[in-house]
Amino acid sequence: MPYNPGDDVVLVQRGPSPGGAGGAYRAFGETLRGLKQTFQRLTEGTKTIQYPEEKVPVYPRFRGRHKLHRFEDTGLEKCVGCSLCAAACPVDCIRVVADENTPENRVSAGERYAAVYEINMSRCIFCGYCEIACPFDAITLGHDYELSDYNRSDLIFTKEMLMAEPLDRTPLRTAGE
Amino acid sequence: MSIEQRPTVPTIDYREMEKSVELSSIAHEENEELLTLNMGPHHPATHGVLRLLCTLEGEIVRDIKPIIGYVHTGIEKICEDKKYWGVVNAVDRMDYLSYYFNEMAYCGAVETLIDLEIPQRAQYLRVIHLELNRIMSHLVWLGTSALDLGAMSMFFYCFRDREEIVDLFEMSSGQRMHPRYIQPGGVFEDIPLGFAEKLRGFCKRMPTRVDEFEELLDRNEIVLQRLRNVGVVDEQTLLDLGVTGPLLRAAGNPWDLRKAHPYSSYDHFDFRIPVGTIGDNYDRYRVRMQEMRESVRIIEQALEGLPEGPWVAANRKYVLPPRHELATSMEALIHHFKLVTEGFRPPPGEVYYAIEQPRGELGCFVRSDGSSKPARLHMRDPSFVNLQALRPMVKDLYVADLIATLAMLDPVLGGIDR
Repeated sequence: MPYNPGDDVVLVQRGPSPGGAGGAYRAFGETLRGLKQTFQRLTEGTKTIQYPEEKVPVYPRFRGRHKLHRFEDTGLEKCVGCSLCAAACPVDCIRVVADENTPENRVSAGERYAAVYEINMSRCIFCGYCEIACPFDAITLGHDYELSDYNRSDLIFTKEMLMAEPLDRTPLRTAGE
Repeated sequence: MSIEQRPTVPTIDYREMEKSVELSSIAHEENEELLTLNMGPHHPATHGVLRLLCTLEGEIVRDIKPIIGYVHTGIEKICEDKKYWGVVNAVDRMDYLSYYFNEMAYCGAVETLIDLEIPQRAQYLRVIHLELNRIMSHLVWLGTSALDLGAMSMFFYCFRDREEIVDLFEMSSGQRMHPRYIQPGGVFEDIPLGFAEKLRGFCKRMPTRVDEFEELLDRNEIVLQRLRNVGVVDEQTLLDLGVTGPLLRAAGNPWDLRKAHPYSSYDHFDFRIPVGTIGDNYDRYRVRMQEMRESVRIIEQALEGLPEGPWVAANRKYVLPPRHELATSMEALIHHFKLVTEGFRPPPGEVYYAIEQPRGELGCFVRSDGSSKPARLHMRDPSFVNLQALRPMVKDLYVADLIATLAMLDPVLGGIDR
C-alpha cells in the first residue's frame, strides 16, 4: 500500500531572506517587536521558587523516600518479610531477612516479620515497584525528596529509619491545584 | 544455548581502533592549511557529550566526524537481565527527553509479541502523554537551540512552559522524569482528579505561547541569518542515510509513522503533518513549531473523546490483578506473586515495533526465547541515525553555522549512546 497522507499535509511558511534592505529594517524593527514581547512578560510575575527557604510542593502520587507502615490500632508492623519487594526491585536495592514471630516477641501481624529491612538509597531509582508488589501495603513511597548525604554508607536506610516519621515534611499539593 | 555452542565474539582492541581513525578524509593540497579541531565532548553547544572532530580551513568546516560513546551505559544489555515488567524502567532512561516514547515503543513491542489487546482508554491516555512529551521535548530543543543562537530569554520561556508539562507528568505518574507510566497491557494508573482540568488549561495556553515564541524568533535577523538557506540537504540524501522525523519532513517528505502506520489509536485523531520545502534549518525550525500546535490539537481531541473503562488489560497472565482483589481473592494473590517474582513468559519469537518520536522513528526490537527475560532488546534511536546527516549538512559552512545546524538537528546523546 503506497503511503499517501493526502490533505493532511500542510506546508510551513518560509521566512524572508536575510540581509539586504529588509535585513537592515529587521535588525531594528523585529528586535523592537521582540523586546515588546519580552517586556509584556514582565507583567506575568516570577515563576521561580526560592528553593532552600521555600520547598516545591509535590503531588499525592509523587514517589520519594520510602516509608514502612504499622497497623494503627495494634501497633504491629505490616511487613511480613515476604521479600516480594526485593524480587520486584529492578535495581536490587532492597534487602530483607525474615524471622519467625514468637508469642513473647510479636513484631508483625503475620507469621513472620522482617528482622532486617534495608534500602540502599544510592541505588534506588524510585520506580515504585516495591509499592506495587507489596501485597500488604507495608511499604509506600513517601513525599520527601531531600535525600543527599555525605557518605554512601549513610544512604543505606535501615528498618528503624524507614519506620520513623521523617522530621521535615514536604508540602503536598491537592489534586485540584 | 550452552556456553560452548555460542559463537565466539572477536575481541576488539579499542586503542588500536582509535589509532586507525583518520583525522581527515579530504586530500591535503599544497597551498591549503587545514586545522583539525576537537569540539567537545564538553562543549555546551553539542547538547550533551558529543565530540566533533572538525577539519577546518580557516573558519569553514571542510570535514566533520562525530565521535560518540561518552555516555554509553549499556542499557540494552541491562535489559536482558530484567524481567519484561522491569525493563520499562531501564528503557525509560535511554533518551532522557522522550521517556514516554521509550516506554511506548518497548511496551508496544512486547504487546505485539504476546498479542495483547489494549483497552481504548489506555490507548487514549498513552496518546495524551506521548503528545505532551513531544511538546516538552520540542520545548527543550527550542530553548537550547535559541540559546545557541544567542537568545537568552527564549530558554527561560521554554523552560517555564516545560515546567507545566512536567508538573502534569508528576500529577499523573508521580515523577517528573522517567515516569514509568506505560506498562505492557496499558498504563499503571488512571489520570487523577483535576488532571483533565489542568490539561485543558494548558492546551488553551500553549498555542498562544507558540505564537509568542514565533513572534520573537520567526523574523529575527540573527535567526534568519543562521537558519535560512543554511544546512540544506535534499530529500534523497536524507532517505539514503535513513533519516526520519522533522529533519526528513523539513525536506518535503511527509513521512510520519502516526499517519503511515497508526499505533495506539492515532487514526482516531484529526491532525496534519507539517512539511517544509527545501530542507534548510529554517524549515526544520518551522516544522517543529507547527508540530507543537498539532500535538496540542491531538491532546484536545483525545481528552474530549476519552472513553470510560479500564486503563489496563484484564489478562491475568500478563497484567497484575487490581489491588483490591489481593485481600479477597486467593487466585489474584497467586497471580500477583507469580508475576512479581517470575514475570510472564512470552512465546519465542521476535518483533520490531516502531513509533514516531519527536526526533524520528523510534523502533524497538525484542527477541524472546520463551523465558521471562528478553533474549535481546535493541532500540533504533532516531538521534543516532540522524547524526549521520550532520556531515552533508555542515560541509563548507562556517563554524557558527555548524552550531546552529547541530542545534536544529536536535540530537539527544542519551539516546545515541544508550
